[in-house]
Amino acid sequence: MSGGPASTTAARREVVLGLRSVSKRFGRVVACDDVSLDIGAGEIRGLLGQNGAGKSTLMKIVAGFVRPESGELTIHGKTLGFGDPVVAAERGIAMVHQHFSLVGPMPVWKNVTLSDRGHTRVDRSGVSRQITEVGRRYGLDVDPDAIVDDLSVGERQRVELLKCLRRQPDVLILDEPTSVLTREESTALFRVLRRLARERGQSVVLISHELDEMLEVTDRVTVLRDGRVVSTVESAEASADSLAHEMLGQDFAVSAEVLGLSVEGSHASRARTHAPPRRRAAPAGHDVPVLELADIKVTSAEGHALLDGVNLEIAAGEILGVAGVAGNGQEELTGLLSNLIGPDSGEVRVEGRPIRTGRGRQLGRAGVGVIPADRHDSGCVLEMTVAENLALGSLDGMVRWGVVRQQQLHELGRRLVADFRIITSSLGAPLRSLSGGNQQRVVLARELARKPCVLVAAEPTQGLDIGARGYIWDRLREAAATGTGILLISSDLAEIMALSHRVAVINRGRIIGTMPRADVDTAELGRMMGARTHDRG
Amino acid sequence: MTAAEASPPRPAAAVAVRPPRLPLSDYLRVGALLAISIAAAIGCAALLLSVTGSSPATVFGAMVSGSFGSRVALTATLNHTGPILLVALGALAATRSGLLNIGQEGQISIGALFGVAVGLAVDAPRGITLLLILATAAVAGAIWASLASLLRFTRGGSEVITTLLLNFVGFQVVSFAVNRPWLLQEDLPEGSVLSASPQSNPLPPAGHLPTLAQGPGFRLNSSITLAVGLALVLAFLLARTRWGFELRTVGLNPRAARRSGVSPALVGSGALAISGALAGLAGGVLLTGTAFRVNDGFSNNYGWEGLLAALVAGSVTLAVIPSSLLFGALRAGSGVLAATGVSPTIVGAVQALVVIAVTLPLLYLNRRRLRALLQRTGVSRT
Ligand SMILES: Nc1ncnc2c1ncn2[C@@H]1O[C@H](COP(=O)(O)OP(=O)(O)OP(=O)(O)O)[C@@H](O)[C@H]1O
Ligand SMILES: [Mg+2]
Repeated sequence: MSGGPASTTAARREVVLGLRSVSKRFGRVVACDDVSLDIGAGEIRGLLGQNGAGKSTLMKIVAGFVRPESGELTIHGKTLGFGDPVVAAERGIAMVHQHFSLVGPMPVWKNVTLSDRGHTRVDRSGVSRQITEVGRRYGLDVDPDAIVDDLSVGERQRVELLKCLRRQPDVLILDEPTSVLTREESTALFRVLRRLARERGQSVVLISHELDEMLEVTDRVTVLRDGRVVSTVESAEASADSLAHEMLGQDFAVSAEVLGLSVEGSHASRARTHAPPRRRAAPAGHDVPVLELADIKVTSAEGHALLDGVNLEIAAGEILGVAGVAGNGQEELTGLLSNLIGPDSGEVRVEGRPIRTGRGRQLGRAGVGVIPADRHDSGCVLEMTVAENLALGSLDGMVRWGVVRQQQLHELGRRLVADFRIITSSLGAPLRSLSGGNQQRVVLARELARKPCVLVAAEPTQGLDIGARGYIWDRLREAAATGTGILLISSDLAEIMALSHRVAVINRGRIIGTMPRADVDTAELGRMMGARTHDRG
Repeated sequence: MTAAEASPPRPAAAVAVRPPRLPLSDYLRVGALLAISIAAAIGCAALLLSVTGSSPATVFGAMVSGSFGSRVALTATLNHTGPILLVALGALAATRSGLLNIGQEGQISIGALFGVAVGLAVDAPRGITLLLILATAAVAGAIWASLASLLRFTRGGSEVITTLLLNFVGFQVVSFAVNRPWLLQEDLPEGSVLSASPQSNPLPPAGHLPTLAQGPGFRLNSSITLAVGLALVLAFLLARTRWGFELRTVGLNPRAARRSGVSPALVGSGALAISGALAGLAGGVLLTGTAFRVNDGFSNNYGWEGLLAALVAGSVTLAVIPSSLLFGALRAGSGVLAATGVSPTIVGAVQALVVIAVTLPLLYLNRRRLRALLQRTGVSRT
């Protein structure tokens, strides 16, 4: 098969995966409502929908992790029973989940074999060879002996992919694989997907919130709304605009800005289409920066510098965007301001006062809120309820005699669930039962509602649908307008350009330049960000 | 609420506050499983008993009547349940904060040892003596457990190992004290030989737990009310207070706890201290309720049984009450059995079979819960 557009032929291909009238409800939430779907051999199918539309649930049904109430599933025309992931895997269905399922302290090769069955002994060198070989074939290089905890997010994603590809699945399901990847990593992933589809005739289902990605890589896109299939369109005939229309319904206007950004060509031109947001004059008495990092150094256990003398200042009401290639110190910067690590030297000052970080309550009490890049790491407690997660770290106002006042807890919960349109079956549901985007909303809602004086927002809109993305951008601007200083750390340049008043570039643990938004030259920015590749190996 | 109908901020449609449940069928299945596994256990036990030459019918009859069959039996069950429940509550407080305290045997012994020392030394009115003994026992248990948190939070030594090893140190301390005339060894009348198992002097009546009911051959002490009362208190503390909230956060995600300003070390050592205090209190209750003296081997497996009761109860705090009752009943029942002349080894085996029969279905239930969780997250461990 050639690499040309295959959209027209896709429709006529043999159906590999068929879903008939599949319905699944969780309590009062209808996750899938009478869904029927046919995926052809060698087809790349996009799945699009708002947070909580039922995308992940539908795919988990296909892979056997969730058992629906009714419906039928066929693979190569033969019926496949529901609810058995082992059987589904044997019949050629493989899935990379929205949230990684790797065991951190184990090496890559062991992780890859974890889901193998019937092995009493794993042939280590054989597996390692296979990983290298499959990796080379698809351009997914990973060291089989590396410990997963030491890998970057992009590399972890590769491990997840290798885990699936090793078994040569007929249907590969990827649930929001790109929300944690950089542009370059996404592009590389898409190359792999196209090769799989075109050369080996494997089918791919791709879930993503990025419309341009969808148009770029898929043959057809199925749009879900409230658990129902709204439409299935040929990607070649669709536009970001039309997809957004299908997906959002009447709510379309809300996301005009985000959409505007995601349809126009490159990042650079996208960003230019929007006037930089105005910065409000800082309120009187706030001429001290709300956040100052003075010569912060953080060293890893092995002794190399993770943050190498970072100096930063954020004024009240200012949004400072930190641009950079992932892995250049962003994680440590968030960790430092999340109370997870203390600096080896240097000082953190909030509103002029030195603050101890790494332990104690000082950071939180001083009014520093954090939206961590990995929500599951320190952003939430999956086994606690939605209401409890919304109150995490802001109990101060609702405790009397040491007792958390339930009424206030639920009051807050109800308010935030409504404001941020969090979809949950109840305030008492464990956070784990929420869809990925809704978990992210819980974290966002909590941190924004605290009205912090400093807000660290790392990848704040990751996993959000485009409707919600615009809403969150507005909320971030609103927070800045009321005096919050925001440190925006994002791998999405468009997001940085859309929100920031000033842009700083982080490279190898240093801030190598800061400029006002108006002066940003995207080419120059890209050059500064990429500077590391030459001397870092 | 159904899925996103995204219009400008809308009121949350009646958000119910109710924890999610497994489908009813799962509970029914667990019930059926419970019946089957108990039947299987009884079958195995019967086989074992007939092979070793006892009559299964008599033995089972004795176990049931020895735990619930009469007022005497019921009293024995409840008197055992009290201290077991106290230990279980402590074990629960620790596990909720992500720590595993398995040093209850030692904490019981140390608690009782210091309790008896205080009880023998003071000469105060009834209520005060009793309170002093129980308070001392609790504090001693807490300090004993805190040795483990010291090692854990300053040196990184696993609390599982240290609490376990501290058991043996605790036993030695008790043994040392009751073997030294100048310490706690019993004052024997002039000329009499030492008793085979060295022990302390008995507590004066001012140091006895109040009696709830008594009659010929039985005396029900108030340990059960104390324990049930504390169970309710602990359940409330865990579910509703800031302390409980932070403790659960630390246990479930220490990094999120740190980010929200909660110190895992502080919360963890507090939980371990409480865990030790409750075990120490169990020692005090055993001392003032039934034993009245301290001797070698005082803890007599109450610690392990309490720990098991907590593990069986799993994630539902108040489930420790029935699970402790089960262990208390088994203890009472097998006490009677031993008196009928069946070998203690066989009694132990029968007891273990019953425990397995009851816990297996509960483990299955937990597995279902876990699977449900995995399904939600989509973590595949096939
Ligand atoms: N185990 C569960 N228990 C209760 N509700 C659930 C469970 N799993 C999913 N849901 C609900 O089903 C709905 C669909 O969830 P799903 O994860 O499929 O959404 P999604 O389309 O993948 O969203 P996102 O873009 O945020 O990842 C959500 O409202 C979610 O709250
Ligand atoms: Mg999802």
